Amino acid sequence: MTQLATAPPSGGRHTKRTKPHRRFDPLPFLLLLPTILVLLAIQVYPMFYTLVLSVQEREPSGWQFVGLKNFEILLDSRQLGESAGHTLIFLIGYATLTLTLGFIIALLLNRKSSLSGVYITLLFIPWILADIIAGVVFRLLVLPDYGLFSGVLQNPALFPPRGLSILTADAPRPWIGEFPFPPSPAMVYLILAATWRALPFITLLLLAALQTISNELIESSRIDGANRWQIARHIIIPLILPTMVVALFSLTLGGINGVGMVFSLTGGGPGTSTHVLSYLLYSIGWVSLDFGRAAALALILAAINLTLIAGTLRITRVQQRSI
Amino acid sequence: MQVATESQAPADLRALLTTRGQREGLLANLALLVITLFALLPIATTVLISFKREEDVTRKPPVVFPCDTPTSKFDLTACRWSIEGYERVVLPMPSPGSLLGFEIKGRMLNTYLPNTILYAISTALIVMVLAGMSGYAFSRYRFPGRDAMMIAILAITGVPLLTNLLALYQMGASIRHLAEGLYNDRVYIIIVYTGFFLPLSVWIAKGFFDAIPRELEEAALIDGCGPLGTLTRIVMPLVVPGLTAIFLLSFVSVWNEFIAGYLLITKNDLKPAMFGMYDFLGQNIINAQAVAAACIVIALPMIVVFLFARQSFFRAMVEGAIKG
Repeated sequence: MTQLATAPPSGGRHTKRTKPHRRFDPLPFLLLLPTILVLLAIQVYPMFYTLVLSVQEREPSGWQFVGLKNFEILLDSRQLGESAGHTLIFLIGYATLTLTLGFIIALLLNRKSSLSGVYITLLFIPWILADIIAGVVFRLLVLPDYGLFSGVLQNPALFPPRGLSILTADAPRPWIGEFPFPPSPAMVYLILAATWRALPFITLLLLAALQTISNELIESSRIDGANRWQIARHIIIPLILPTMVVALFSLTLGGINGVGMVFSLTGGGPGTSTHVLSYLLYSIGWVSLDFGRAAALALILAAINLTLIAGTLRITRVQQRSI
Repeated sequence: MQVATESQAPADLRALLTTRGQREGLLANLALLVITLFALLPIATTVLISFKREEDVTRKPPVVFPCDTPTSKFDLTACRWSIEGYERVVLPMPSPGSLLGFEIKGRMLNTYLPNTILYAISTALIVMVLAGMSGYAFSRYRFPGRDAMMIAILAITGVPLLTNLLALYQMGASIRHLAEGLYNDRVYIIIVYTGFFLPLSVWIAKGFFDAIPRELEEAALIDGCGPLGTLTRIVMPLVVPGLTAIFLLSFVSVWNEFIAGYLLITKNDLKPAMFGMYDFLGQNIINAQAVAAACIVIALPMIVVFLFARQSFFRAMVEGAIKG
């Protein structure tokens, strides 16, 4: 937008230039204009609007400026710390599991056997399902008493003392203070379900990175006497490390902001044991109808997101420069 | 002598590698087979549940196949499959005048799914056109501010819907308040979706345009084809696969989106299928067969689209993932 304003008007004073045919061409700006307008309206303006909302409070008379009060209430509340703890546990479990499994599956697929294409296609089906649907699918498996896994999980002989009902079991007593560790069965199950859905994408990302490693490199190090572990440790992992970090950031972004699966799988419960930050944002905003405080939380989340995005951009740019 | 042993050793090594390679190939295939079966297990179970009867999904302890009789645990001839769950989703009402002989009363099929189809197709078309235009501009022109704009769009790619939702909700309410006649839930949600799925698509489109050699266009220009003719006759046919991939990716993204459709659309009749699913789940807590059937009805179109166009998806995702 600003470029439109600062650039010389087309056909204006081009006679002064040494190359008259290289005069300002408005075409790229015209091509970009609709995109820029949409992004300004739907992405950029709401960010500033959230900032404005976060320092206001809705009174019966209208919106009132309250300074940093929303942030103070939010940071003082027990909810925020608790939800942040749940989010942290969710992210650690989800990212570790997805990256590890994704790496292993990508290594298996990278052998380029004739069946690889079939496996990739079939493995990818969970990715095409909506998070709401994935949550419902996993919920049906463990419905109390009736779910197909409930017969095994609720068996007191296998899970003493009273069997395990994932959707209703209480969280175990925290080990350290109020930090929600060890996680509740519902949280572990949520991590598994989220991993199931995110795994295909991460696998494909890592597979694409693996395929850029030349075969000669692996082959020659094998002839030089490196064993499989050494090859993985000293050649493959260093070469795909940037992609792994990008994958980690993308998982973290998706994990912090994904909320559909919490809605359909656990609804935040039992109790508050799967109340993550994204669900807290929904419940402050649309259940308690406290938009000011929700906007303050949205800003905190946005700050975390922007840090992650900046980190990703840095890594991908460093990567591009080094090639 | 020396020469002979040296040439012999690599040959042995190679023989060792192939047999070892074959054995490993078999093991890898086996591992992949197990992983694939595990990955598909939840979906297979959902299909299974969707064809059960209510009395079979509410049994304690649960049974995997509804095929047991008082005398035998599994008797294939005694299986009690049914489409009861699907009937609860469709809710057919006999109506002699209508085309099928019955009318569809289920809100999922007569309200929510048509809404989703409308939003997904409109958004995907707009995103495809705008991303194509922007991708072309970024790929073919050098202009002041180009790099800054590209980085800005890349940064926006990572911004999730969630944090902007409050502001978008308030914006919608303000527009509704200021211009009641002009505000339209459908138009608003399509613009919001466009804004959210456009940034990544711009990058994907740029990648596809970058892959087309410039020389091709220059040759066409020299041969007397105008800039517009070059674009429509030379460039466009070559980027059709790329634009198709963008269309499909946006289509699926809108189809699967829940929270914005749920919160930003004010009228329940205009909400999309994912809200319908959430609503249906609340109404059918114990009717697992109906919930499973609803899942299949909503998810099956996407699975079919994916199976037919998987190359398109992979192309777009790799393009988008490497850049973003």
